[in-house]
Amino acid sequence: MPASLHTILVVAKNTFRETIRNKVLYAILAFAAVYMLFTLFLGSISLGEDLHVIRSLGLAGMYIFGLIITIFLGSSLLYKELERRTLYFVLSKPISRAHLVLGKFLGLLSSVAVCLAGMTVLYLLMVAFKGGGFDSSAILAVFYQLLEMSLLIALTIFFSTFSMPLLSTLYAVLVVYIGHSLDLLMQAVQGASAPVRFFVQLLHYVLPNLAKFDIRSAIIYDASVPLSQALLVVAYAAMYVGLLLCVAVFLFEKREI
Amino acid sequence: MIEIRDLKKTFGTHMAVDGISLSIKKGSVFGILGPNGAGKTTMMKVIVGLDRPTSGSVRIDGRDPAVRQTRESIGFMPESPSFYDHLTGLEFLTFCGSLFHTQAMKHHEYLDLLKRVGIFEAKDAPICTYSKGMRQRLAFAQAIVNDPAYLFLDEPLDGLDPIGRRELKSIITALQKKGTTIVFNSHILFDTEELCDEIGILHHGSLLYSGPIEAFTKGQPLEERFVSVIQHLS
Repeated sequence: MPASLHTILVVAKNTFRETIRNKVLYAILAFAAVYMLFTLFLGSISLGEDLHVIRSLGLAGMYIFGLIITIFLGSSLLYKELERRTLYFVLSKPISRAHLVLGKFLGLLSSVAVCLAGMTVLYLLMVAFKGGGFDSSAILAVFYQLLEMSLLIALTIFFSTFSMPLLSTLYAVLVVYIGHSLDLLMQAVQGASAPVRFFVQLLHYVLPNLAKFDIRSAIIYDASVPLSQALLVVAYAAMYVGLLLCVAVFLFEKREI
Repeated sequence: MIEIRDLKKTFGTHMAVDGISLSIKKGSVFGILGPNGAGKTTMMKVIVGLDRPTSGSVRIDGRDPAVRQTRESIGFMPESPSFYDHLTGLEFLTFCGSLFHTQAMKHHEYLDLLKRVGIFEAKDAPICTYSKGMRQRLAFAQAIVNDPAYLFLDEPLDGLDPIGRRELKSIITALQKKGTTIVFNSHILFDTEELCDEIGILHHGSLLYSGPIEAFTKGQPLEERFVSVIQHLS
């Protein structure tokens, strides 16, 4: 194995261990489990639409809790190391800052993926329990969600190279909100003045269009998702993640520790 | 050999290290002394490649410590170390060891190292449960996990009880006998006198003296001589 890849994987493994043992994470996951089980009750009072309600609220819940976990863990990932100076141990070893950032990204992505996998298993069991069989299409929705989370992890790592966790969280929430509203915003400003349209267009090009990762409605209504679209979304996520991590590495290289 | 040439490090308008030139011989134990804020930690961070110099250069065996390969032969123990609290001592040490490519240890060697620094019994306990002395020992262990040719220790004996200090000092002496070059910052001048071949005295970022202890102390105890020199300058 090349030395660089080995180093990145060592950091990723350590980050995974450190994040997956965070007690707050378990509190969020417990909350997620309670919510998912509660959708069973909501389904039972929905006059024959129970499976639809469980699928709809279950996928939405997985998204919300996945988002909370990602932003909670991501926003303090690098900052905490800088603040507590644990980086002194790592960066005095033969490792570059780029390796550290990539390792942190992969480690947190693994933690988020494990959490999502756990929630997905619970969701699939609930759907099967309610007679919906194996909801294989939900796995595609979760995969899309994981792509969005990977983008958000890169985004929070980027923010945490120059801001405190609270601000990183705030920025990330703003990007999520705007990122899911970009198409609506573009429609809304069609009749607006030129500067407003320019500003929204600028946002449209700079910020990630997170609506591309939301196929939950399509999945719930059993609409098909073409393979070409899936590949485009993977490429879109990879491009954004690559770009954000490159800028994060650049900023991190400049920073005094 | 460590060669430092006209090293300067500024933070904004504050000059933390002001034009230091120094040579540290291979295999020697070199103590960096100075009052608080003299620039000892900043200088050490630049030497091990954690910070970049504003100007000047550092060469370890002729190589820049900012280059990753140079750090294969360096061990560094930071002052008042902070850890990944959710990891166990063994996991942390294994993590640190795995970041080296040429000197990666085997599992039993990590266990031996933990025994050597006296925290083997706590190897599977989370680091957040460790006392200050145990953390200091773990930080020392990670600094020597790659069997470094150059070992940099920032206040290594801080927070240790007398037994811990004696144990760590005996390891430092053993490493010196093996030929490891050791550079350390310390406020405990008694230990410095006991361990070091040579010292460097920093004050306001400048090097006041560099050379053998005896030439500096002129027959006086190190602490007495150090205090009189610093007080004379202040």
